[in-house]
Amino acid sequence: MSDNDQKSVSRRRFLSVLGTTSAGAAVLSGCSTEKVEKLIPYLVQSEDQVPGVATWYASTCTECSAGCGLHVRTREGRAVKLEGNPDHPVNAGKLCARGQAGLQGLYNPGRVKGPMRKSGGTWSEITWDDAIALLAQQLGAAGAGLAVLSGAPRGSFTGFLADWTATSGGRLVRWEPFDQTALRLASKRIFGRDEVPAHDFAKAKYIVSFGADFLDTWGPTVEHQRGFAESHGFSRDGGMAKHVYFAPRASLTGLNADEWHAIRPGSEALLALAMAGVLLVERGIAAPEGAPSVSVEQAAEATGLKAEEIVRLAKELAAARPSLAVAGGIGSQHAGAVELCAAVLLLNYAAGSIGETLLFGSDLDRGDGQAAFTALQQAMEGGQVKFLLVHEANPVYATPKAGKFAEALAKVPFKVSTSLYVDETSSQCDLILPGLHALERWDDANPRAGVWGLMQPVMEPVYPNRHPGDVLLAASQKAGGAFVKFNAASWEAYLKARWAARPRPTAMDAATFWRESLARGGVYAPYGASPVKGVVAGAVSTEPPAIEGTGDFTLVPYASSLLYDGRGTNKPWLLETPDPVTKITWHAWVELHPDAAAKLDVKEGEILRVTSAHGSIEAPAYIYPGLRPDVVAVPMGFGHTEYGEYAKDRGANYLDLLGPASGEFVSYLGTKVTVERLPQAYRKVAKTEGNSRQLGRGIAEAMPLAFAAKGLTVEEAAKAAGHPRHEINTEAEVEALQGWRDGQVGREDGEGRRLGNYAGEHPMWGMTIDLGKCTGCSACSTACYAENNIPWVGEDQVQLGRELSWIRIERYWEGGTDGEPIEARFVPMPCQHCDNAPCEPVCPVYAAYHTPDGLNGQVYNRCVGTRYCANNCPYKVRYFNWHAYARKAFVAPLELQLNPDVVVRGRGVMEKCTFCVHRIRGAQHTAKVTDAPIKDGELTTACAQACPSGAIVFGDLNDPNSRVRQVAQDPRGYHILEDINVRPAITYLAKVVHREPAHAAPGGEEQH
Amino acid sequence: MMRKSALLVGGAVASGLAAAVLSGFTGATTQQGPSAPAAPNAPPAYTIAAGDSAFLKGPKQPILFRHDIHAGQYQITCQYCHYSVGYSSEPGIPSMQTCMGCHLIIAGADSSNQKEISKLRDAWNAKQPVEWVRIHYVARHVHFPHQRHVKGMGPNACATCHGDVARMPQVWEVNDVNNMGWCINCHLERKVNRDCTACHY
Repeated sequence: MSDNDQKSVSRRRFLSVLGTTSAGAAVLSGCSTEKVEKLIPYLVQSEDQVPGVATWYASTCTECSAGCGLHVRTREGRAVKLEGNPDHPVNAGKLCARGQAGLQGLYNPGRVKGPMRKSGGTWSEITWDDAIALLAQQLGAAGAGLAVLSGAPRGSFTGFLADWTATSGGRLVRWEPFDQTALRLASKRIFGRDEVPAHDFAKAKYIVSFGADFLDTWGPTVEHQRGFAESHGFSRDGGMAKHVYFAPRASLTGLNADEWHAIRPGSEALLALAMAGVLLVERGIAAPEGAPSVSVEQAAEATGLKAEEIVRLAKELAAARPSLAVAGGIGSQHAGAVELCAAVLLLNYAAGSIGETLLFGSDLDRGDGQAAFTALQQAMEGGQVKFLLVHEANPVYATPKAGKFAEALAKVPFKVSTSLYVDETSSQCDLILPGLHALERWDDANPRAGVWGLMQPVMEPVYPNRHPGDVLLAASQKAGGAFVKFNAASWEAYLKARWAARPRPTAMDAATFWRESLARGGVYAPYGASPVKGVVAGAVSTEPPAIEGTGDFTLVPYASSLLYDGRGTNKPWLLETPDPVTKITWHAWVELHPDAAAKLDVKEGEILRVTSAHGSIEAPAYIYPGLRPDVVAVPMGFGHTEYGEYAKDRGANYLDLLGPASGEFVSYLGTKVTVERLPQAYRKVAKTEGNSRQLGRGIAEAMPLAFAAKGLTVEEAAKAAGHPRHEINTEAEVEALQGWRDGQVGREDGEGRRLGNYAGEHPMWGMTIDLGKCTGCSACSTACYAENNIPWVGEDQVQLGRELSWIRIERYWEGGTDGEPIEARFVPMPCQHCDNAPCEPVCPVYAAYHTPDGLNGQVYNRCVGTRYCANNCPYKVRYFNWHAYARKAFVAPLELQLNPDVVVRGRGVMEKCTFCVHRIRGAQHTAKVTDAPIKDGELTTACAQACPSGAIVFGDLNDPNSRVRQVAQDPRGYHILEDINVRPAITYLAKVVHREPAHAAPGGEEQH
Repeated sequence: MMRKSALLVGGAVASGLAAAVLSGFTGATTQQGPSAPAAPNAPPAYTIAAGDSAFLKGPKQPILFRHDIHAGQYQITCQYCHYSVGYSSEPGIPSMQTCMGCHLIIAGADSSNQKEISKLRDAWNAKQPVEWVRIHYVARHVHFPHQRHVKGMGPNACATCHGDVARMPQVWEVNDVNNMGWCINCHLERKVNRDCTACHY
């Protein structure tokens, strides 16, 4: 109390003094200034919810058509984490980044809260009863003019829709932008099988991909990644498959290839046929009748490759059996896509893969195809469609503007959407009847023969919306007439009845079968691979496809591995997780080869205008060596004009540049473009990459297969290759580091127990990361965001380098200069939990310290934000909350996703990977209470749990039988930045490559 | 003079507040009515007249739920209501249905009890859960695992921290559970885990 200012005490001053005393008294008594908390019990306790204990449900993911199985973790009636269902044959317990982000679709602030009707151009809310009445009325009037456009994966609901539309002579079209129509048509042409074949990557010893991005966006990627890890992940007894990728652009799949060859767009078919020719000769088989013959020279001229290379690759392919050739991706979907796929099928035939690794009979579903969609659009334009229901599809966004779908839509007198969000298509409709998210509804999915995955509501719906099945059933009853036969009491009842009619074990009754199927997540039966009889080889044309337009560059658009076809753009996790190849977040970009950039005098961030015959887009430039110089590449997913606040204003939609679909499919790779740099226009690219070269630091190590097979360590391999492992240390530095290391010796006790692991009787948590298996897909990163309540920071903060991802994927380039092939190495980088951590001694308040069980602990409430720990961290894996990011990142209803086991950090606090310490402590509590010790493999971190390749292994290094200990002793194991003696708890296994890893070797010989 | 009287009043109020606060802080054991009898199954030695609970320690609850009758006289085990304390971090608070399980039939021995039970029944019938005032609160950056403590501290675990709840007509905070020093003292005495990340993570 200052008595040196005022002479008299005014009432105001007296009250303020009083206030101070009361507040002070409150602090003294130990109470906080928080208001009194209430404990509100349930009226009736739910049987399956226990406070503090998670309840798990099995369900199915709907973020793409792969139909992966989910195990949903719910706490107190809210879904908080998605993991894969280990019993499901497609994903076997793993889940990709898109699947992890499904929770942000469930809790998205942009969700429509109730039925909305558009009249006079403005939206107004209406009740469900009114909406259903309106629907019924329109249904009665529609007659044969009824049409449903569904993007939904095949299942009971699409079966219902088919019956429903057939009632009045209407039509159902199931469509998605990334269907595999070209491959299906090729199968039909060549083998007479109207289906998409399944690909068994696990079995293949040699994989050749013609622009099919099977690891990131093509087909069931989680399943493919698992198979790829099995065959291509190195093991001493199993060897290592080889992966060759032919495409004008190296996608993420291309960067995971052992050889990427940048062939000219449109030349894939000729290459495949030329290779097939060589194979047939090698294997001594006669060519199938009518097969076109393409010489190696022809192919060399078309592709730009050398003839000897083609022969070499073909011979390698012939020698490695079984092999697999893959085609049909978006990146190679040009006008000749069917020819391309047909040629590759012939290549598979020549290689003997049909029935081995390329399997028919799985009835993989990807919708009805573009032709059906085009027919529907024509009917809409012709005025034959009177009533259109759009379900889980956004064609106004996802089709080229030149296709004029929006205009066709405007011609339909009554349009209804069941979309959960206001997107480009639903905003053009007359009525939005918001459906339920996959996690809120009863449903099923049939991605392939034998696999029926169930979906069940894991919580009460976030908003009181309804399953479209319930809506249509109610509307059918109201509409009467022929629709009256859809008289199931509810959608749930309909679904149950369908399942009661399914084949089941003879002794089991329907109710038990339903319950068991729900618990398991569905029914999974292997499909009978049916053999292929006869090949019609003559149906392949060797004409190169036309790529229309004029311009110096060919446009190569590609599916974003995170945003997919644009459906992920409203989920901030997918916007903040950097694109695995370019490491760009939050906005669109245009990729240019360094030579092309030099010629056009373009630097990164300068805005380019890309113009085709159909339109133009503008986006900042990104210089990418993984392209042909005569090609520009643009990712899909940006350019939304609706779809919520996260999705809008994120850059350009490359679909504006494409021409309309012609017949069977959209030629994504179908146009030439001109590129010009806009003067004075610049946008700093929000990317998370620092220096993309290792500069001799030995961060991402690799060794040739020959050395790995001999069991050489990384040091031995470097020596055998004739160049030193680390090139930056001068002799003085080497001496100093050795002295340092020697000085540490006395700190260990006599038995050599590791620093920081007090007394040795505690577990020693550690991790191994196999760089040979990591594909860079970033599923681990997104899973970590979901598990640990990590806030997204937004574009401007990413530009400042403040993204908070506790585990990030670093991508280093090797080679790519002086004619050497470019190689990418992906390094997942979480906190290394160093035994000798440099961050610990510098914390003035002991917030960063080493736990007895080997973790580098971070105590949030002690942290005062000096940031010295992050300063000292050599791996830069400590992240500071510069702002109260959590306030913006968890706006309602996103805060429902928060994991209650993990604290939400406030401003001014340092955070980092904790090895999921909440999971460790939870497991330890359960182990103590149940008197059952933690079994190896039971406890794992979120990143290890999610990784589709199984690259991350976590466990107790002190347990002699644990898997992590075995893997850590692999000769390929090393620590990153080992020289500085911080002794990380994470052992990385060096990547294994099929030829001498590309890097500048000062004074060293290149060996092949 | 204005200034002097204002100061006097201010000072009086401040010291009154200080006294009240300090007495609460030291957990003064001024008697609050005669204590419940030691022998089980005996009826409580006193009734509390309806509405006359001001002399009791602890925050006033919407319904005067008497642990001394339920846990003391009738010896209902803590885990009958706080059901998840043995296997979860959260102790669990009984649902209204748990209360009504008995009180559908039991209307109360005396008029005070009857008044409170009728409040419960009204709340149940109106489908309005009772909003209990929270007494034991640990800061949210601390993860306190009830199940470990219940397992480790044996049959009398609850009373060790929460006091002799079975003799409390109205629950009050015997030990400041939000005081880390108090937690650490017990961990020191019993020589158990003192690692920071046991609770702070």
